[in-house]
Amino acid sequence: MGSDGAPVVDATGLVKRYESGGGYLEALKGVDITIERGEFVAVMGPSGSGKSTLLNLLGLLDEPTEGAVRIDGRDTADLSDAERTRARKQTIGFVFQDFYLIPTLTALENVEVPALLDRDPETRGRAADLLGRVGLGDRTDHLPSELSGGQKQRVAIARSLVNEPRLLLADEPTGNLDRETGRTVLDEFTRITEAGVAVVAVTHDPQVPKYTDRTVDMLDGELEP
Amino acid sequence: MSRVAALYRRFPTLLIARRNLTRTTARTTLAVLGIVIGVVAIASLGVFGSVLQTAAVGNLGDIGNQVVVGPNSEEGVTSLSERDVREIREASGDAGVVPIKQSRGTVEYGGVSRMTSVYGISNPAAAFNASSGRIPDPLRGGALVGASLAEDLDVRAGNSITVDNRTYRVRAVLAEQGGFSPLNVGAGVVVPAEQVNSTGIQQVVVQTETGSAANATAQAIRASVNDREERVTITEFSQITEQIDSFFDTLSLFLIGIGSISLVVAGVSILNVMLMSTIERREEIGVLRAVGYQRLDVVKILLTEASLLGVLGGVVGVGLSVVAGAAIAQVALGDPTAALSPEAAVYYLAGFFFGVVTSALSGLYPAWKAARERPVDALRS
Repeated sequence: MGSDGAPVVDATGLVKRYESGGGYLEALKGVDITIERGEFVAVMGPSGSGKSTLLNLLGLLDEPTEGAVRIDGRDTADLSDAERTRARKQTIGFVFQDFYLIPTLTALENVEVPALLDRDPETRGRAADLLGRVGLGDRTDHLPSELSGGQKQRVAIARSLVNEPRLLLADEPTGNLDRETGRTVLDEFTRITEAGVAVVAVTHDPQVPKYTDRTVDMLDGELEP
Repeated sequence: MSRVAALYRRFPTLLIARRNLTRTTARTTLAVLGIVIGVVAIASLGVFGSVLQTAAVGNLGDIGNQVVVGPNSEEGVTSLSERDVREIREASGDAGVVPIKQSRGTVEYGGVSRMTSVYGISNPAAAFNASSGRIPDPLRGGALVGASLAEDLDVRAGNSITVDNRTYRVRAVLAEQGGFSPLNVGAGVVVPAEQVNSTGIQQVVVQTETGSAANATAQAIRASVNDREERVTITEFSQITEQIDSFFDTLSLFLIGIGSISLVVAGVSILNVMLMSTIERREEIGVLRAVGYQRLDVVKILLTEASLLGVLGGVVGVGLSVVAGAAIAQVALGDPTAALSPEAAVYYLAGFFFGVVTSALSGLYPAWKAARERPVDALRS
């Protein structure tokens, strides 16, 4: 593990190349980014600029063609699939654009999902707490189909926090929400960062930068200075 | 917390798997139905074979358990001596040894007379059962009437009959003997041995408990009585009944083989259902992987789903098989409880076991396929 002062995630020289047709498609062309503890960072840019690819690399869902991703100062290049999975579970929370809640589980059970297999008796209480914090204390037994888009997104946020991550990665967290609900979600993110969790949000939404500590712009696989 | 909730706490994969099965109820039901049919096919065909076997062995009666010893006329022996009987007794151990004298005589009752076989037996209780009355052991006075003769003359236990001008009280009417037996007294009458005017013993029946005991006894008698000369002929049928048993075992296996074909088909349908379900839930599985579920966890969830289908199909299938088995047993044996015999229970267990194993095996490929996919590919929509 890295020292206490190490950034949560530190990426250098990230290149991601896909084979397409006869040639290569370069989604990232050498990106350096460092996220400190409790920092709220927005990554903005047009579609196809490589935002989601960057998020997948930072979240250990994908591996870079070149470059290194260090989590808590520790290089992740040589980790096995099982080790990467464990690192995701311990360190990273995900909020997906389409929520991806499990339709057969209640709101509370969905929040529990990341910790469900641990058989930790405290998970349920923590999940109920988190649902209360995002304002859904009265919706615990509802199925996702009985919730509005904003409510689903808040369930997804509660789910991403149940394992007490140090880094939260959000892909278009406000993309499917009206402005009002979007603001509630962003307020929630701000509160999380105050508790020391770093948040990286990939977004098109122009209201997001008002809430963030800094905003990086991406274009054609590179960060704009 | 309810018991179910506590179970799910303990086995969270079971919770996820069970909920997943409820999302496409029709599809789940059809997959389970396939397993039900397979389990019923295996279990009820197996029970059918075992009932057939019971029925066939029942028709053969005691044939396999009896050894019949008679004089060897080819060697000029016309009857068995007391010494032969003694040797047979020694060779037979605990088995009941019934020496039989035999002659012909006239039986009269109610003004009707019949010419029949008259058997002199001092201990008939060892070889026969009564349908009414009681067989005294030993038989010192009175007579026993064979089932068909009793019906013919309308004789009941307690009546008096005349055999060769001697009057006997009927102690018992003998039970009808199932199938064929080397010794059939159905049309005859049994009286105490000393009251038959015959020069010697024509037959000795040795009644053993099992076919293999009959076989062993026959060999022991052969070794001791026929030691120096071939004085007696020994007839026993245990080998025939063994062959019949082994034929029915083969038949049962063959029937189960046919039944398992339907279970294989059911397995293919589960494979199909699970594959469709994992393709539809691709992104969900990707999310599970993203939030820290290992590949093995995904495999466990999907295998649990497939196994649940098998357990459900197995339980329903065994239930239906018991009903079907009872119907078969009722038709073949007139006794529906034969469907619950230990032999039949083996087939229910086998049906259930193969049902669950087939389902789990069918879930293996879809589970492996889903677990192998990288979360980033699953989530790229």
